[in-house]
Amino acid sequence: MEAKHDVLIVGAGCAGMRAAIEAFDAGADVALLSKIHPVRSHSGAAEGGINAALGNASEDDPEKHAFDTVKGSDYLGDQNAIQVLCDEAPDDVYQLEHWGAVFSRTEDGRIAQRPFGAAGEPRTAYAADITGHVLVHVLYEQVMKRDIQTYEEYFAWQLVINDDRCQGVISWDLLNGGLKTIGAKTVILATGGAGRLYTGTTNAYACTGDGMTMALRAGVPLKDMEMMQFHPTTLAPTGILITEGTRGEGAYLLNSEGDRFLTRYAPNAMELASRDVISRAEQTEIDEGRGVDGNVLLDMRHLGAEKIIERLHGTRELAMTYAGVDPIHQPIPVRPGAHYHMGGVDTDLDGRTQLEGLYAAGECACVSVHGANRLGGNALMETITYGKRAGLHAADWALTHTTIEVPESVETDAERQLKDLLDRTQGERPWSIRNELAETMHENFGVFRREDQMREQGEIVAGLRERYEHVVVEDKGDVFNNDLTQALELGFLLELAQSMVVCGLARKESRGAHARPYDYPERDDENFLRHTLVRWIADAPVLDWKPVTITKWQPMERTY
Amino acid sequence: MEVALKIWRYDADTGERELRDYEIEAPEWACLLDVLDLIKDQQDGTLAYRKSCRMMICGSCGMRMDGRAVLACKERMLPIVERGHVPVISAMGNMPIVKDLVVDMDPFWNKIRRMKPWLDPGYDEVLEKERIVSQQQMNVIQKEALCIMCGCCVSECNSMEADPEFFGPAALAKGFRFVGDSRDQAAVERLEDYNDEHGIWDCTRCYFCNERCPKGVDPRDAIAKLGAESLKEGIDRDMGAKHAKWFIKSTETTGWLRETELVPKTQGIVEAVKQTKFAIGLAKHGKVPPPGPVHVAADVNEARALRGLVREQGREGALGIVQGERGLARIEHTDAGGARRDTPAMTPGEEPPKAEG
Repeated sequence: MEAKHDVLIVGAGCAGMRAAIEAFDAGADVALLSKIHPVRSHSGAAEGGINAALGNASEDDPEKHAFDTVKGSDYLGDQNAIQVLCDEAPDDVYQLEHWGAVFSRTEDGRIAQRPFGAAGEPRTAYAADITGHVLVHVLYEQVMKRDIQTYEEYFAWQLVINDDRCQGVISWDLLNGGLKTIGAKTVILATGGAGRLYTGTTNAYACTGDGMTMALRAGVPLKDMEMMQFHPTTLAPTGILITEGTRGEGAYLLNSEGDRFLTRYAPNAMELASRDVISRAEQTEIDEGRGVDGNVLLDMRHLGAEKIIERLHGTRELAMTYAGVDPIHQPIPVRPGAHYHMGGVDTDLDGRTQLEGLYAAGECACVSVHGANRLGGNALMETITYGKRAGLHAADWALTHTTIEVPESVETDAERQLKDLLDRTQGERPWSIRNELAETMHENFGVFRREDQMREQGEIVAGLRERYEHVVVEDKGDVFNNDLTQALELGFLLELAQSMVVCGLARKESRGAHARPYDYPERDDENFLRHTLVRWIADAPVLDWKPVTITKWQPMERTY
Repeated sequence: MEVALKIWRYDADTGERELRDYEIEAPEWACLLDVLDLIKDQQDGTLAYRKSCRMMICGSCGMRMDGRAVLACKERMLPIVERGHVPVISAMGNMPIVKDLVVDMDPFWNKIRRMKPWLDPGYDEVLEKERIVSQQQMNVIQKEALCIMCGCCVSECNSMEADPEFFGPAALAKGFRFVGDSRDQAAVERLEDYNDEHGIWDCTRCYFCNERCPKGVDPRDAIAKLGAESLKEGIDRDMGAKHAKWFIKSTETTGWLRETELVPKTQGIVEAVKQTKFAIGLAKHGKVPPPGPVHVAADVNEARALRGLVREQGREGALGIVQGERGLARIEHTDAGGARRDTPAMTPGEEPPKAEG
């Protein structure tokens, strides 16, 4: 064992750093461990903003925020978790401001708030269109201020389970090579999403679901894994994100005929309907031949150069660099792309998982705040509020428990597994498996889902897993061997894909991001107002269910 | 398209460097990072470089292309291929190489930390509401807040090449992010600190950092703003500060730069006297203007009026630094449809779609 800490946080994006700060301030010995430097985390790519009922742009209160979130979730969100988020959000945003977050401002100098999809009030606080970037940097500033130890470029690979407790993490040291075991009384997973399951994704290369699969392998259930959000405005072919803030500022979505086609899908909310609704509308337009080279058009020309440059500067830069389009003069071609995993490690309101000593927060967790569909601006808020809560409770637990034990066998087993992988010299390298996985997931488990395609995908993934058993890592060196870590990431992704298929097949209804227009076009509250759970048993995903917590909002029909 | 590259490989174990040739088929939309990915996948799994977001926000993929620091995810390859050019890819400068295109960023982060890079609000946590700050006040640090810490500016910094201890453009831009923040209560202490040896006045104003920053942060402008704020606060112990002050004084009083007095004003009388021999040498070659009488420019009032305007507008500190709004200008100055790459085929129906309203 290299070192020991009270609280070890895996992943150093918004949720991880917020947890670290809270645990540190609670008096715990804290360390962050991340495969990339904290400011490289994908939280930084969040553009549009963070939702809190500050009431700076209209009369607003947490109750309204909660209702919008419940409805947005297609009633699959746990209402107690949503209530906590919405109640704590305003103070958590003020805290960020006091730490120095460079928020955009109203005329009278308060934090500015813009309208966002499916929100009844302009509730999304923002920093131009680089909100995530600003938050990642302000949190890292606070981490530096506290001098919190950070294991940078340590690739977390396995959880240490001993005595039915999580007691640390086994990781690969990217810069120097070698497996390093960091012991901890509590471990918080904050590793983000798994968008790399898909070809067209807004997610970074780092988003490979590491924490979710580590938990799964440790016997911890994942929840609602079929719920992958497709963001309506991503650039072809790479899936680079164009923020919902563009529509919040008034941009239109047009089809090839120049129609604002949302009049036919969400006549009231139009471009500010919920993301699942808009993604389906776009896909329908494209499928029915009213797309433009497989895209629809996001038109911001009427906003004017000044507004675009002031509030959507980064978006313009992205469109110009990656699509060759200046949105001041031309509409941007966009299409739905994999964006956010509503599902993740099943936790309670304090971030606790079903394994003692193991916590999770942020996108890799599923509290569940987002249910079947997340509202734009709620993800950053969740990272902050639930990151804070997980940090506090993990610290509390750690400070009342004393021992950390990592049996030698745990480390030698890991060493042996790694040696097996690195010793292999004959066979396929991982990249073609990775590409096939991402392409077939897009084809068979995308915006619309069909029974036969999901079944086929199950078989495809099983086949890819077999091939993965014999995969070869070409780089045998110790120094910055990301050929090795990328192979390990593919292992994480394959198990998640298999889990998603099992959940997707089981949910025989259409709810939020899980749309089955061909066989189960309606929501079925009688049978499926409940979470899917998946456990890993005997090298296969096993399905289970968990009730949804409903407090005061009974399910209603969901229109925008 | 067929892309050809040369990559400087570096083996950390042996210390060997080698320039290797690669050729690979890539889609036309590929950027440098995509091409590196294809090479790593299909030709050489041992090639090492950092990457993550592939959308210019995480700052992982800083490296050099033809000796110029870039973000690999921002460089489109099509125009390069069309030119028939074979670019040379290497690791960033001014930082030790770990392997291939990966550099050790520890020295970089140590300098960032040295700036005490966190807001000092002057009170312990008070949590009622946000502080009231105007958008104009926030705009002062708008460009510095764009910094993604990729290291491209540091890679290119000529001062750091001469003095590895120079704080460097990224750290100083981070420093200004706090000095310029109206919520920060430690601006003067910060300025005192940043005026130390290896600090703001050691920048040689080569502007490479502004030129190479992929995000339009314009670090050199941030350094200029720190200098201006220092003078405003009367922090002028460094020769660089004294030098700058004399420029102002000299132009304000006579409308031109009195170079003869520049040396004593900058270095002090004692140091200036020590250089008498050198000065005589220069004088002999006609390189020194006659010491007197003091020449006053005919249009001196214009220089004075300009100075008065700066005072009147309250632009004596950072607000007076306006020379480099390059980050925004770069983006703003495009004519209709004149984005930086070819527009993909997009001809919906007979007429282009029109916005309503």
